[in-house]
Amino acid sequence: MSATGITLDVVRELGAICGQENARERPIGGVYVSPSCAEEVAAVLALANERHLSVGPAGGSTERSAAEAHVDILLHTNRLTQVEHYDHADLTVGVGAGTTIAQLNAMVGADRLLFAADPPFPERCTVGGLLATAMHGPLRHGYGAVRDFCIGVRFVTGDGRRAKGGGRVVKNVAGYDLMKLLIGSYGTLAVITSASFKLFPAPRQTRTFLAEFHTAKEALAFRDRVVRSPLSPMCLELVSPGARRLMRPQMTDDAWVMCLRAGGSDAVLARYRKDLGAAVTRELEGDSEHRMWRAIEDFPQSTDGVGYGNGDDNESQLIDLTVWPRDVAAVVDALLDTTAIGEPDVALVGRAGIGHLRVLARGRNAAARDMSTAIIAAVRGKLGDNFAVKAAGAANPWPIAPSSLAEMRAVKQALDPKNILGGRDIF
Amino acid sequence: MPFPAVIAQLRKIAGRDAVLDRPEDLMLYEYDGGVRKCTPVAVVFPQNTEHVAQILKLASSSGFPVVARGAGTGLSGGSIAPEGGVVVAFARMHRILEVDAENMLAVVQPGVVNQQLSDNVAHLGLYFAPDPSSQKACTIGGNVAENSGGPHTLMYGVTVNHVTGLTVVLPSGEVVRFGGKAAESNGYDLTGFFVGSEGTVGVVTEITVRLLRRPERVATLLGIFDTIDDGAKTVSAITAAGITPAALEMLDGWTLRAVEAACHAGYPLDAGAVLLIELEGLAEQVEEQAEAVREVCLQQRAREVRRAKDENERALLWKGRKNAFASLGRLAPSYYSQDGVVPRTKIPAVLQFIGGVSKKYGLRIGNVFHAGDGNLHPLILFDPRDPAQLDLVQAAGAEILECCVAMGGSITGEHGVGLEKRNLMPLLFTNDDLDVMLSLRNAFNAAGVLNPGKLFPTTRMCRETAGPSTNPVLQAEGM
Repeated sequence: MSATGITLDVVRELGAICGQENARERPIGGVYVSPSCAEEVAAVLALANERHLSVGPAGGSTERSAAEAHVDILLHTNRLTQVEHYDHADLTVGVGAGTTIAQLNAMVGADRLLFAADPPFPERCTVGGLLATAMHGPLRHGYGAVRDFCIGVRFVTGDGRRAKGGGRVVKNVAGYDLMKLLIGSYGTLAVITSASFKLFPAPRQTRTFLAEFHTAKEALAFRDRVVRSPLSPMCLELVSPGARRLMRPQMTDDAWVMCLRAGGSDAVLARYRKDLGAAVTRELEGDSEHRMWRAIEDFPQSTDGVGYGNGDDNESQLIDLTVWPRDVAAVVDALLDTTAIGEPDVALVGRAGIGHLRVLARGRNAAARDMSTAIIAAVRGKLGDNFAVKAAGAANPWPIAPSSLAEMRAVKQALDPKNILGGRDIF
Repeated sequence: MPFPAVIAQLRKIAGRDAVLDRPEDLMLYEYDGGVRKCTPVAVVFPQNTEHVAQILKLASSSGFPVVARGAGTGLSGGSIAPEGGVVVAFARMHRILEVDAENMLAVVQPGVVNQQLSDNVAHLGLYFAPDPSSQKACTIGGNVAENSGGPHTLMYGVTVNHVTGLTVVLPSGEVVRFGGKAAESNGYDLTGFFVGSEGTVGVVTEITVRLLRRPERVATLLGIFDTIDDGAKTVSAITAAGITPAALEMLDGWTLRAVEAACHAGYPLDAGAVLLIELEGLAEQVEEQAEAVREVCLQQRAREVRRAKDENERALLWKGRKNAFASLGRLAPSYYSQDGVVPRTKIPAVLQFIGGVSKKYGLRIGNVFHAGDGNLHPLILFDPRDPAQLDLVQAAGAEILECCVAMGGSITGEHGVGLEKRNLMPLLFTNDDLDVMLSLRNAFNAAGVLNPGKLFPTTRMCRETAGPSTNPVLQAEGM
């Protein structure tokens, strides 16, 4: 395989496929190409297979900087923005992979519908990237993961076959569930070109209830009380003192905060107020409510000057942990063992009710990576193999080898036999 | 290996009393809830994962095909044995291995009956959400294979939304673990891929499922309409009002009369259609939604909207719905159930089309279905003793499914493709789509030992068909 020793012939051929203005050499080597439709994506991948060139699909680069991706062909999805179908009375929508989440929100929001994924940086994050990384935000507590409401996907496999799974209707079991296979596969099996989703009615109004605690244990006891109650909030988020200070530097106390967002009529919200009782210290609505949730969604980049990634210049590493809800307490313990959590070195936000936590390890240069390795080791020490972990922005998103690696390799071989679509670090 | 030797080997693996091979015993395993039949050459009842592993290893080395079977309630022929095939029946792997109330999870063997799991965790205030109408009999292993749904999947999703981990035996006999108890696992989501793969990828022997908390309040309403069209239009009017019911079911006039005769559920005998609407959640929310639904129904010309006064009335209304298929036995010796899906706004149009098909073929077709998610179940009544009728029924069924696809829908919402709809797959999928799916099947089950002849078409029906496939397995499948 070429290590970006790409020839001018290839640039010309890609230009012939996608238009000369949509194919150009990259400063770090290789070529940038921006196809406008699935047929062009298929032609690009066919060429890559023929010439043994590596291809890296890129969307909004919210998780990993595309500028640093060392691939022969950087395939950008920014021109795949067509609306395939939007049936507001059916509560379904299908759009091109390059559509941003903000564009999708604006379109369906006008009809008082909700696209129930709230990943970081919706203005940049694309539908394709959301699916490829299985990214999520606070709404996952109440609405499930994107795997639960993606009803169809069109894609081009690594070996250039243009295919689809699912369809446009909310219930469908015809054929294999290829949505599940591609969601969270980090673009290593196929390039997603468009997808269809189930939508939800948007709540007419929401309120956010904040409850502050001295310790994580008290905060998690509050979580348990909510989870065991009849209340069904849209979001239930835990924010550590370190994360809170990063998001709101003016905050100087050491509070653990549980943030609960509920939607419904005045009577429904009154019921939340009554049941949550004296534990609630503040109630947010309108702009202040919106700003707070954006800060949590975008964490840690919601904070000034904090970036993350695996480049040597970066100062921090973001780790996504998925644990059993009961084990959130054990993760907090592991973090406390690894570092003083009150210090700004480690910060955590997460969907505490369902066991999804985002942990930021900070340090100068390689220290952040050492810190993230230490955190993963500490969590493993407490939980054994009973957790999943993803390292945002890393070349290998899965720092722990999957237990069924042989079967995953077989799947990779079936769809991308020449290993055109990255994943060399994993497979 | 000659077949008597295979039987002896199976007995050695699972026990002398765990293999059936007498014709009178095998007859009980030649059918499911659909219309196809094929007698297996043997039925084996494994008692643990190791038995399943040894059986699959034997099947692969001896070259006989196997099909896994739960309760045989499937409606697409998915568990019908292939020619010369052995049925691996899970009746003896029916234990609930673990209930983890704190994490709201359970680990079960595939032979656990769907309803039994909910009954077993009811004292904890929990239940298993997928609720196929056959839930008193169907197994969770079967639910996983078919990605089964049910009325309440409108709000809670189908089986795949409630499974987090699987222990799977591959054709080689290798035992692998996909996913776990956490909502995500490292690497590809093979759990999500496996659910609904209709027994063509591996055989599941342990399933980790999510449990849900029982809602505080449930309101069950019955909207009564003079015409089926008014009922159909009400479905999308309810969703357009921003309400997501837990379940939204429709029964047409003559189906509900058959149901009423059999179940005495309290359905009105002179109605054109009824909607059974269930709302669940926080008391305040449910009461508001119940009032809003009542208003929408009346705006859409409902004659009356009733609400179940207590749990008994509610149970009776649901008994009528869940026994609807069986109740039609009063009208004809058999029925052919379809499972098409359309976008919910197309329900009025597709019901009119079905009325036309009924007239064209001279067949009685009842409609009882999951209206909220556009999942139709037209029931075509016929007499299976007349082979000409079966051909007619299948032609009528195919015409209805073609209409569903033309409206942007699907050929199956929850019953699976199986044998019954495999040759309709090209209505939805191109050669490349099917070729990708086949290459994935072959990554796990290249020799076709597991459930051959299911899900993939045996004929080339694609609109853009051009010559034989270059894929050796497609060729082997006659495509």
